[in-house]
Amino acid sequence: MNLWVYTFRRLLYVIPVLLGVCLIIYLLFNVVAGDPTHILLGKHATAKQMAELRHELGLDRHWFMQYLDLVKSAFTFDFGRSWSTKQLISSMISEGAIPSLTLTVPGFFISTICAVSLSLLVSFYRGGLFDKFTILICISLMSIPSLAYILFGQYFFAYKLGMFEISGYDFGFPHFIPYIQLPVLIWITLTIGPDLRFYRTVVLDEVYQDYVRTARAKGLGEKLILFKHVLKNAMIPIVTYVVIQIPFLILGALLIESFFGIPGLGGITLNAINSSDFPVIRAMTILSAVAYIIFGVITDILYTVVDPRVRLN
Amino acid sequence: MENVQSNSFATTEIKELKSKSLWRHAFETLLRDKTAVVSLFTVGVYALIALLTAFGFLAADWAAEVGPSYQSPSTEFLFGTDIFGRSVVAKTLKGTQVAMSIGLSTAVLSAVIGVFLGSIAGYYGGKIDEIIVWFYNTFSSIPSIMLLVAITFILGKGLVAVYLALGLTSWVGLCRLIRGEVIRHKDREYVHAASAIGGGDFRKLFKHILPNVLHIVIINFSLQFQVAIKAEVILSYLGLGVQGQPSWGTMIDDAKLELARGVWWQLGAATFAMFGVVLTLNLLGDALRDALDPKLKGK
Amino acid sequence: MSQKILEVKDLVVEFNTDRGKITAVNGVTFDVHKGRSIGIVGESGSGKSVSALAIMRLIPNPPGRIAGGTIKFNGENLPDIQMDEMRRVRGNKIAMIFQEPMTSLNPVFTVGNQIEEVLELHQTELSPKERKEKTIDMLRLVGIPSPEQRVKEYPHQLSGGMRQRVMIAIALSCEPDILIADEPTTALDVTIQAQILELMNKLQRELGMGIIMITHDLGVVAETCDEVAVMYCGQIVERADVDTLFKYPKHPYTKGLMESIPAFDSTSGKKKEKLTTIEGMVPSLFDLPAGCNFYNRCVSASDRCRESEPKLSPVEGSHEVSCFNPLSL
Repeated sequence: MNLWVYTFRRLLYVIPVLLGVCLIIYLLFNVVAGDPTHILLGKHATAKQMAELRHELGLDRHWFMQYLDLVKSAFTFDFGRSWSTKQLISSMISEGAIPSLTLTVPGFFISTICAVSLSLLVSFYRGGLFDKFTILICISLMSIPSLAYILFGQYFFAYKLGMFEISGYDFGFPHFIPYIQLPVLIWITLTIGPDLRFYRTVVLDEVYQDYVRTARAKGLGEKLILFKHVLKNAMIPIVTYVVIQIPFLILGALLIESFFGIPGLGGITLNAINSSDFPVIRAMTILSAVAYIIFGVITDILYTVVDPRVRLN
Repeated sequence: MENVQSNSFATTEIKELKSKSLWRHAFETLLRDKTAVVSLFTVGVYALIALLTAFGFLAADWAAEVGPSYQSPSTEFLFGTDIFGRSVVAKTLKGTQVAMSIGLSTAVLSAVIGVFLGSIAGYYGGKIDEIIVWFYNTFSSIPSIMLLVAITFILGKGLVAVYLALGLTSWVGLCRLIRGEVIRHKDREYVHAASAIGGGDFRKLFKHILPNVLHIVIINFSLQFQVAIKAEVILSYLGLGVQGQPSWGTMIDDAKLELARGVWWQLGAATFAMFGVVLTLNLLGDALRDALDPKLKGK
Repeated sequence: MSQKILEVKDLVVEFNTDRGKITAVNGVTFDVHKGRSIGIVGESGSGKSVSALAIMRLIPNPPGRIAGGTIKFNGENLPDIQMDEMRRVRGNKIAMIFQEPMTSLNPVFTVGNQIEEVLELHQTELSPKERKEKTIDMLRLVGIPSPEQRVKEYPHQLSGGMRQRVMIAIALSCEPDILIADEPTTALDVTIQAQILELMNKLQRELGMGIIMITHDLGVVAETCDEVAVMYCGQIVERADVDTLFKYPKHPYTKGLMESIPAFDSTSGKKKEKLTTIEGMVPSLFDLPAGCNFYNRCVSASDRCRESEPKLSPVEGSHEVSCFNPLSL
């Protein structure tokens, strides 16, 4: 089986998953969440007003047509308008993606580079004090809730010490830079622990392989073994791990964005949740599911390309 | 025929003997690990506090006004007071009960769903497997924050909603692992031996296969326990958290209004309490993995 | 007697474990001669592989370390030299092949790449083009068909036997003085085993290196070695040239080993009907007996064996045995 056939099959499997995602979303928003007209019109709406609104929102149509609309929106990204701001959701998304990316991409980039290099360093001194200490720091960082970091960082570094902007955002390079500094730092603090732990496990899995002993028997130095033989093997899970995280970068960071007033997708989502803005919540859910599924496919395909051992069958 | 039977019994007996000694060995390894012993002890202390508060022996008067509003930490008020003049120490202790119950219920729920679906999918294969795999692939494509919001929205606010929301969204990882392990184990000889003596599917699955995947469940249990405790903070921030009694999540969330006035002690106390138990559970999870996962032996 | 190229004397290797310190190799002495093969035979845990790894200084440290003895090579004591000096010996002067051809090659580099790497390291005078040519020559030398194509392949595209040939090509590409083969055929099919052993014999005749053959299989020793050392619990219990050992085993353990092989009878040399096993268990390295380590399993044990430990000493010519009651035939 060649790569194209595999890619085609893998894409084919996306269809039932996507239909399933839409079904769950439909059930959550249209069946169990109840009648949205109550939310929109409040408690004292007349029956006539409610019926009109239901018609306007298309809620009086056959359930299957409504479900089909949902599926269609997953492909067209035409999600309608927000209830609270009345904006087109698709343009909200394209506007919100940029602030999110200016926050998440630098954070992700720095965190990944630091975590990968630290994991190699830690593996070099595996079992020693440096290794144990680094792991303890990772676990400690992971044991503090994200909200505490945000509250403390904003209060102490931005408000008390005045080292950073407390909140806000400015579009365009380089105007956004002062606003993302502290958020990026918090992002790194939040992600470096789990990342480093994952990469360390990956590298240590390789360090004990037989081919490492062979490389030593050939007379190779430890650094060359680590950076050439071990790293190339470890790159397979590392690349997979990196790619699978990309969709989350686009979607932004919910809490960080909302606290620092960054008008990204994460903040938009959180506001929508707070104001029960169903179309926006629904759109963000579909968007993240689609991104997640597509990057899952990309990861699988990449895996077969990077790893010479994977035989397609 | 008689011969075959006695042989099969011998096989299962040996298997059981072997697995018992494996567990014993794991237990001994765990006890030799100082970090693990300290972690177990600390988790025990948290559990004890949770039980004592649950039965009213400790922090029963957390709601009482003990002093003025926003009193900073002093010898009289160890961690100060909150806006209503309630003792932050008492609230933190009471919050332990909430945190531990959330951790426990989430871990149990995720283990039950994960093991049930995972073992059925792995054991029966075919259409059942395809449906379950499709279901968890679909389910895991939806961001868990959205599911959390949806579930609490449906169930209304409150502790039970938090239990269910966190439990219902945390089983996929375990389910995947269990499915993989069951597929790996079901063609092993000892399972065939069990078939030869006429064991039903249920018996085979629960008596012979599941004990061999139990270590994954245990490791996952300590993981989900602490993830749930942390997730409660997010739910509280979204206003979907625990109502009517103090929790670490609501205490941390309160700090978003308090910090500007210099009131840091609620945030400090709750974060500190949470840090203690989450760190401990993390370390315990690592120690359990070292002791129970034979693949990692010798590293 | 041909030229002595490696002298291992009183080698001691210790490991720290959860349950205390063990001595995996306890006072092992043997020599390697140019163009000759020495077989080191023993059950798993006898210390044979650890001895080989010690020569290469590949004992994982911690938990293991060379605690005593000397390994003289080219006038130098290998445990004492600097690590970068040791690296110039590894793969260049002393090369090693391992038991697991499936995992011993790096899965993400091509076969050619892995051979070229060792040339690049030790034969710096070669140009990249010469390296490529030599790589293909090496593959041809170890009997890999169409080497021009095979250099571009990854290990997983080759069979187990072919992979072991590649390992041999890597090991021999710098024409080492000594080749250490740690169970090189154990993981292979019987027919492939014979081919690999035949190849090693042929290459030894052509290249004249000394071979240390680590194995649990006396059949392999009979086919490839000139001299044999039998190891038990970290010590050599008997040493002789291969014909003498097979004809006149002196140590009860050696005899027991021979009798537990099918199709071989030490007394008549004919195919035998009944297989015997050595009764009892190998003692734990944590808890070695005071006297002879083989005491609890030995058929000719006496009271003296329980109390004091026999030393390896000559019986006839170069035939040495460590036993108070050696077998006489």
